[in-house]
Formats: sequence, structure tokens, C-alpha cells
Amino acid sequence: MTDLDASDPRTLPGFFDALAEGELLGGVCADCGQVLLPPRPACYACGSRAVDVEPQSPGGTIFSYTEVHAAPPAFAADAPYTVAVVELADGGRLLGRVDADYADVAIGDPVELTVQEPTAEQREAALDYEADWPVHRFELR
Amino acid sequence: MPEPVIASVGASPIGRTDLPGRDLFSIALAEAFDGLPDPAELVEAVYVGNQSESYEHQIMHGTLLAEWAGLRHVPAERVEGCAAAGALALRHAVKDVRNGDHEAVLACGVEKMTSAGTSGATDALSAAFDRAIEQRSGVTAPSQYALLAQRYLHETDATERDLAEIAVKNHANAARNPRAQFPKEIDVDTVLESNPVASPLKLYDCAPVGDGAAAVLVTSAELAEDLGRPQVRVAGSGASANNIAVAERDMTDIAGARIAAETAYEEAGIDADAVDIAEVHDAFTVCEALLAEAAGFAPSEMGYQSYLDPAKRADGWTDVRLSPSGGLKARGHPIGATGLLQALEAYEQLTGAAGDRAVEGADTALLLNEGGVADAVTVGHVLTTAEGAR
Repeated sequence: MTDLDASDPRTLPGFFDALAEGELLGGVCADCGQVLLPPRPACYACGSRAVDVEPQSPGGTIFSYTEVHAAPPAFAADAPYTVAVVELADGGRLLGRVDADYADVAIGDPVELTVQEPTAEQREAALDYEADWPVHRFELR
Repeated sequence: MPEPVIASVGASPIGRTDLPGRDLFSIALAEAFDGLPDPAELVEAVYVGNQSESYEHQIMHGTLLAEWAGLRHVPAERVEGCAAAGALALRHAVKDVRNGDHEAVLACGVEKMTSAGTSGATDALSAAFDRAIEQRSGVTAPSQYALLAQRYLHETDATERDLAEIAVKNHANAARNPRAQFPKEIDVDTVLESNPVASPLKLYDCAPVGDGAAAVLVTSAELAEDLGRPQVRVAGSGASANNIAVAERDMTDIAGARIAAETAYEEAGIDADAVDIAEVHDAFTVCEALLAEAAGFAPSEMGYQSYLDPAKRADGWTDVRLSPSGGLKARGHPIGATGLLQALEAYEQLTGAAGDRAVEGADTALLLNEGGVADAVTVGHVLTTAEGAR
């Protein structure tokens, strides 16, 4: 861990560099199997610091979802939009935008993660170090 | 060990005001010290619950409010845990008195939420969510709680009408609370027909944005006795953090709140069924249902019955009354002050100062104050005047 740097996927720059290449990396606890999205140095479920980094399947199902009507300033132009918590096929859970109308989404629906370059508005709202980080979304399958 | 008690309370008006935060604090402090020696003669340390510097471009609230109270050269600091900041301030004050470090500590909270409109408050509150994934996906506070509500409605027999009835109940309580931001009754159709904010949550499922301050004086029981003040013992205190990202938590077993409540019960030497009244963190209606279960008042999946009279609730419910103040929903939710407004309500209820809204025979209260989304951090306190409780 002492050699942790920005190329390590247990840091956010390392995680987003891989995501920009289309690869979703998760931390997987070597002791209890908990999936951690994004990867991080320690497992919240059991406290172990033996965390492996493994590619995660982009497929999953809707665990819960909502429609944002009153959006934060940086997202106001997109409202209303759908946001969901997705349970991925490999066991991790990840929140993200869903490219579908709220009325067309239900708990249990299959979805697939996609990765996009940040838009001009997203770059505008980003901190310096986030400017090139990709943004993930989910599409209904 | 000295026994920590609440010896006095005060609050500012709650809602849209023309006063900055420090001035709201001055009002709350003046009420708390009415009939007491000046703060400079009593207070040995100050903790201030405050959510965000974005409302007034001001940090250093410990220093600022100590000075405005006429105190200097005392330990004073702001504590931060989004909407749980107020109860964290109370917890620190209680620990200082219990440890014998100080005899009198001021726990206060302040928030000036209306300074930048609804979009300013939305943006300030969003800083409580995980930045890397959640904020960058465009979530808001209502949408995070809507994810919990959607899942709760999916897993239980609760309906949107049940959640609406929780808001109706809390408005009815607030109608008897002169401190409330919205002291008026509403009907269930008003809730169900209000504008969607983050489906399935509608405007009237959501606590309002508002300004406010609260001040709670925590002392040793001995000092409160000397001051001739009615006292309420802080018999238990518990706190628990959980994941920052709501996606990684159990979204219907609010584990952080369960642990905070259980820790406070254990310290107080009581069980959930000893609690007569509870002020819980109903930032959104679904929270009251989830917290009734986490606090051990309701069986799993039955917390949504919190709005019913105790005799009409499912088997396994205690006879607790929830949010007699009107809760965050209708009493108001000036973020950093909220946990202390909960303590204020319990103090008034347990010392016979709750007027028309008094819950008859109540001697023990649970406070559950949450910060971030739901139980990202939860603080629980047991307040009591009962003989026998620790």
C-alpha cells in the first residue's frame, strides 16, 4: 500500500482511467468476497485490507430507481431524468443515471453499464482533477 | 462520574427569516439563559453543529458563536456531520460533562439555509453525497431518499398513501407546536397531489428548507440542581457511521441507526419499549417508517404504521409516539440545528413544558438524528426523568 499512486485502481484516478478504456474495476475482498465499487484499500464489510482488483461484469438489474425533477444546478438542463441503484452481475452495487424514462423502468429490469466522455457541462462543473473522468450510465437491455 | 443533564434549552424562529445565522443563535441563546447567570459565568466549552459554509461563506462557528455569547478563551469548535451535526454537538457536550472535564457545556446548532434559494440549498446538501460516483450522476437529497422509498414500497405492504399519512400526522402535531415552521394541519390528498420531487416522493413528503438555531445547556446534575433548573438526564448516547454511498448499504435495514439506538439503550439500561416519545429524523416521510423499525419500535416491514394510534398498529409495535414536535417535516429542519431541536422537544415534553402537545405520562425519549443520506451517520440519545433508568 505504501506504493499507492494514481495508476493504482484502488485510487480514483486509476479507477477512472480504466473506466475510460471501458473496463469497470471493482475491489474484491480476499477474506469475505465483498465487492467494492470503486475499489478502495479496505473492505467495509469485514475490515480486511486484503483487497484484490478485478474486472466487473457491466450487466446487472435495477435494485431501486427514481426520477429527479429538481436537479442540482449543473444538471438542471437534463431534468427530469432517471437515476437507479443497480445490482451488478458480480455482486457489487452502483448508482448511476439510466437512459430511459422513469415510467419505462421497474425493479428487476436488466441493464448494462456504458461509459461516456464527460460533456462540456460536466467538465464545467468538474474539479480540475476530475475534468477527464468519464461518466457511466446504464441502458435498459 | 458526574451525571450529564440538560438544564436549559432555547431556539430561534424556524423558517425563512431576515436574520443571519449568528443573530439566530443570539435569539436561541437568550431563551436558553433566561433566568440564568450569563453564559460567561457558566459555560466552559462550546460545540456548534453546522452543515455548510456555502450558505454564509463562514466557517469558524465555534469561535464566532462563543464570542457572540460573551465567551473567550474557552474551547470552542464546529462539528460537522451534515444534518447530524446538532446531535454530534450534544454528544460531545454530554461526554465532556460525564468525563468530568467540564461542568457546563453549550451545545448549539445553526443554519442559514435560505441565503441562496432552493438551488443553493440543493447544491450545498449534495456535498454530503459521495463525490466520485453519486454527485457526478446528478443525485439530490430527495432522489437519494426516493431510492430508499422505492425499495421500501417494493419490499413491504406500505403504499404512497401510508407515507403521505406520516406527513399528515406530523403536520397535525406541528399544529400544536408554537415553534413549528408549518403549524398547520394538512390532508392526505394534499400530500398525494403535491408536485413530484423525486418519484415516489412528492413535495409534501419532504422536510422544508429553513433557517434556525438552537441552544442546549448540558451540565452536571449537581450544577442544574444548584441553578434550580428542571433537569432531564442524558442517560445514553450512541453514534454510528455507515457507507457514504447509499448504493452499498442495505437500503431497508437502516443499520447505522439501529446500532446508534441500541448503543444508547444499552448505556441507559433500557429497552425500546421503555421509550414513550421519539424524535426521529423524518427528513422524508419514508425515514420515519425506516427509523421506527431501526429503533426497535416496530416489527420489520411495519414501521410505516407510525401514523396510527398505538392501539391500531400491528402486533409487536411499542406504544411510542413519534415526532410530537411535528418532526423535521413540519417543525422544520434547519440542518445543523435539527438534532438540538429534537433535544429541545424532549426536554419540554419531559419537564411538563410542552403545552397542548404534551404526551401524557411521558418520562423517556429517544432522539435519532441522521446525517448524509439516511444513516451515513446516525446519533442516538436517550433522555429520561424516570426513576431507575441509569
